[in-house]
Amino acid sequence: METKLHADPVVREEIIAKYLTRKLDPAAATEFEDHYLGCQECFEEVRATELLISGLGQSCIERTQDRDVTVVRFGAPAELTASSLDLHALARIVQAPSETKVLIDLSQVSRIDSAGLGMLMRCYTHAVKNAGTIKLLNPTSQVKRVLSITRIDSVVPTFDDEKAALKSF
Amino acid sequence: MDQQYLEIEKLGVRLRYKVRYQLGFACPDIDDVVQETLRRFLDASQADRMRTPGAAGAFLNGICRNVILEYRRRLFRDAPMPEVPPEPPPNRLPPTELFELRDAIAEGMKQLSARDQQVLRAFYLEERPVEEILELTGLSPANFRVVLCRAKEKFRQIYSGSMKSQAAS
Repeated sequence: METKLHADPVVREEIIAKYLTRKLDPAAATEFEDHYLGCQECFEEVRATELLISGLGQSCIERTQDRDVTVVRFGAPAELTASSLDLHALARIVQAPSETKVLIDLSQVSRIDSAGLGMLMRCYTHAVKNAGTIKLLNPTSQVKRVLSITRIDSVVPTFDDEKAALKSF
Repeated sequence: MDQQYLEIEKLGVRLRYKVRYQLGFACPDIDDVVQETLRRFLDASQADRMRTPGAAGAFLNGICRNVILEYRRRLFRDAPMPEVPPEPPPNRLPPTELFELRDAIAEGMKQLSARDQQVLRAFYLEERPVEEILELTGLSPANFRVVLCRAKEKFRQIYSGSMKSQAAS
């Protein structure tokens, strides 16, 4: 393992990430511990990766309030797909009991799949049940196409201008 | 002597990390386990019982595993053994540590470019295979390696710089 760890940084990072998420099998984990207990360089990599993962885990979704409308934005490029953490973070925010009028800015969303569309519809149902609504802002061309094919854009209003979107609530 | 003391101190830090990983950050006896392991390790070193001095990490890890097993046995000696083995402790930073580092981590994240963040999130958080990340980002394997290492190094520099300035203020 020692040579593998020092020969290829990507392999080392894969091992560290698996170790931190407890996905490394017990024998490999013991071997890795044998190594980092005697290697300061690899130990520092483990610590840095742990901090990095906790930093990445912090949601990059920004929430602002415009009167009674909550505007939700992605602070970094995001994807609304089954494996994406952004999807779950967005669902948690939009489906909070207090959120009934929500404008979701999709300008940073490069991809959306059936899980993402399902989540949008669940958020919409949640808002309508609570006498509110959700609207979408600035979807990218790819997302716009998916919304159009699935006809979700005929149910969930979509806007290209933020002022107009806010005014419509 | 000072050099030896520094080495033992470094060893103690690495050992503490491993014990925390095995017992969970909430375990109240982490320091005791670390001290006992170090004591046995130093005794063995002084008595020349270490057969391969080059594999000190593995030797220390072996002692540590024994101390942890003894500690667990002692814990369960009076209490009945659970029918279902307990889940391993979650590997996350203790809330107090996370609170102290929060600003430094956030600063580190803020200064990473959108592409770097995308690569890091896909690799560490979403645990996507490297091939999928290459397809998603359009990077070549060599470029991916460079981006991953540089982004992590940059993050490390920013958060350690940010922590130093926090400590100075």
